[in-house]
Amino acid sequence: MPVLAPPRDFERHALRPRHRPLVRAVAGAMFAHEDGPSPARLDAFVDEVDAFLSFASTTLRFGLLVMLELVRFAPVLVAYRFATFVRLSHHDRVRVLERMERSRLTPVVLVFAAYKTILSLLFFEHPDEIAATGYSPARRRHLRALPLARPAATSPAAPPTAEAAE
Amino acid sequence: MISRLLRGREVDRPFDASADVVVVGSGAGGAVVARELARAGRSVIVVEEGGYWAPEQYAAMTPSNTFRRMAREAALGAALGLGATPLVSLMSGKCVGGSSVLTGGVCFRVPDEVLHGWVHHLGLRDMGAGPLEPHVRAIEDAIHVETVPDHLRSRGTELFVEGAARLGIPMKPLRRNTAGCRGEARCNFGCPHRAKMSVDISMLPDACAHGAEILSDALVERVELARGRATGVRGRFLDGVTGEPRVPFAVRAPVVVVACGALHTPVLLRRSGLRSRLLGRGLTLHPSTRVYGLFDERVDGWDGAFQSAYSDHFFESHGITLMSAYGPPSLLAAGFPGVAARHRRYVRRIPNTAVFGAMVHDEGGGRVRRWLSREPLVTYRMAARDLGRLFEAIRILARIALAAGAREVVLPVFGAPTVRTARDLEAVLTPLPDARRVECVAFHPLGSARMSAEARDGVVRTSGEAWEAKGLFVADGSVLPTSIGVNSQLPIMAIARKIAHGIADGAMRS
Repeated sequence: MPVLAPPRDFERHALRPRHRPLVRAVAGAMFAHEDGPSPARLDAFVDEVDAFLSFASTTLRFGLLVMLELVRFAPVLVAYRFATFVRLSHHDRVRVLERMERSRLTPVVLVFAAYKTILSLLFFEHPDEIAATGYSPARRRHLRALPLARPAATSPAAPPTAEAAE
Repeated sequence: MISRLLRGREVDRPFDASADVVVVGSGAGGAVVARELARAGRSVIVVEEGGYWAPEQYAAMTPSNTFRRMAREAALGAALGLGATPLVSLMSGKCVGGSSVLTGGVCFRVPDEVLHGWVHHLGLRDMGAGPLEPHVRAIEDAIHVETVPDHLRSRGTELFVEGAARLGIPMKPLRRNTAGCRGEARCNFGCPHRAKMSVDISMLPDACAHGAEILSDALVERVELARGRATGVRGRFLDGVTGEPRVPFAVRAPVVVVACGALHTPVLLRRSGLRSRLLGRGLTLHPSTRVYGLFDERVDGWDGAFQSAYSDHFFESHGITLMSAYGPPSLLAAGFPGVAARHRRYVRRIPNTAVFGAMVHDEGGGRVRRWLSREPLVTYRMAARDLGRLFEAIRILARIALAAGAREVVLPVFGAPTVRTARDLEAVLTPLPDARRVECVAFHPLGSARMSAEARDGVVRTSGEAWEAKGLFVADGSVLPTSIGVNSQLPIMAIARKIAHGIADGAMRS
């Protein structure tokens, strides 16, 4: 059956240059583990975030960028540190994100949740990451409806069982 | 397949056309109207803001690619909660096929008690079980509504059923519009096997076979009205590079059917000059929530039907419908607590995670307004009764997970600890947390241009025709007069079919 070629994606951007280091820093802290994520992975990830956000409307993009600015100054709000997020050490970035998640200020928690949702959706789609979660593309349950095959005889010379002889 | 399609993003000169009927929107409502009227011999043009992707193409998309190409606002849209109301994430389609491409395929009829209210309390005599029955049946046949067989149940759903049974809560198999489901658990990202009979598979190809044409990437900006009568629509095709409206188009037609969904239909009607104070008001959402149950055993919730069991045990008493569900690992990861190493420990338990869901039959506390961009401003004030129901749904779901043997339960309350016992659960829910911290999502916006027996009570008649303009019809979820408490796909399609037959029988003849 002929299929129409897929349409080309729109070429739009949501992040300004000043947002990119911030998104990179948040992702680096949010998904930190023993081996990474690697700098190259984080660079590519910022592009993925930009491409994803660019499909939102003007007003929503504006709102998301305002929220991102709140993350920039979150150290002041939740850790009483007079520094922007990108200027913190990796360890302190992780602590600030943890405090945002547990903050008593509901707007801070919602900003954290919004960016955690967006970043997780994109980060854990990477083939390496999704494999690390234990996900398997195999689907077996629908096969349970198929009739079971008769077990093969162990050898051609095997004698028939009494049940089969009947 | 869809054979008569013009992609607006590939058009570089103004476009003008005429037809008997122009349908704005190609989702569950618009596609049905297009098919029925094309089969009745009318010339039909369907205008859709979103793009067209064939199943073979969206099969290769990751969840985020599906969201950004086929969902409104890249699935990041939300209804702003007013007062003690959660922020409600809104999920709706923006593609040829609309939200039907992105649903779980669940099909319910409108509950009898809801229909009783429509007829006896709202005076909508045409909307009773009798008048709707032939349309419901015809749609069920056309989209192949079938009961999900037991062998397609995921292990996650089996645990949901087992846990509920231990608490004395009966569960029932769901019905979905599927044929040949292979249990990929990705219905809401487009079925890669053409097994889900979304309208891009079941309705639009038939409409095209009967002469209907589809314009994709085409934003309708205004319904043209002259002397109180619809005369067509006007808009602009989206630019192939920027996605912004650029090349103008117009379709002249004596009958205009608006089916943009409950979030956009009121905006278009208001922009076109309709003045009803009820336009955009009374929006209902079916606020939904979920819990994660973390089990010792491997669940592999992605193996099996995306949704296959439900319970209406609490429907009459609490307005709650329990529903099995699942999500792709990347979305599940977003719901786990913690960051860095702690978060990753949870993410590694995704194979051991089952997801249990519930939705609330809500009152109409939502409102849709025109705003600064093409997307509307949606606000929602949750009734105290519904907020209580939402927390009760969380309590029930968590108890079911614990009864099913979950070692740990992740609640949909931002910042709340996970729970391991019923006592932990009550500690989190007593006193009730700030409503704004509850994770809440809605898939069924309804009722923002509702039908009524009298002009003062609604926006359209039971025929779907606007009280304010002849020849202007609405045929989508926005006409439903109340929340229905169950998935809305089948009811919308049945009502759209009824409206289409009314158009074919009456309006066109006149």
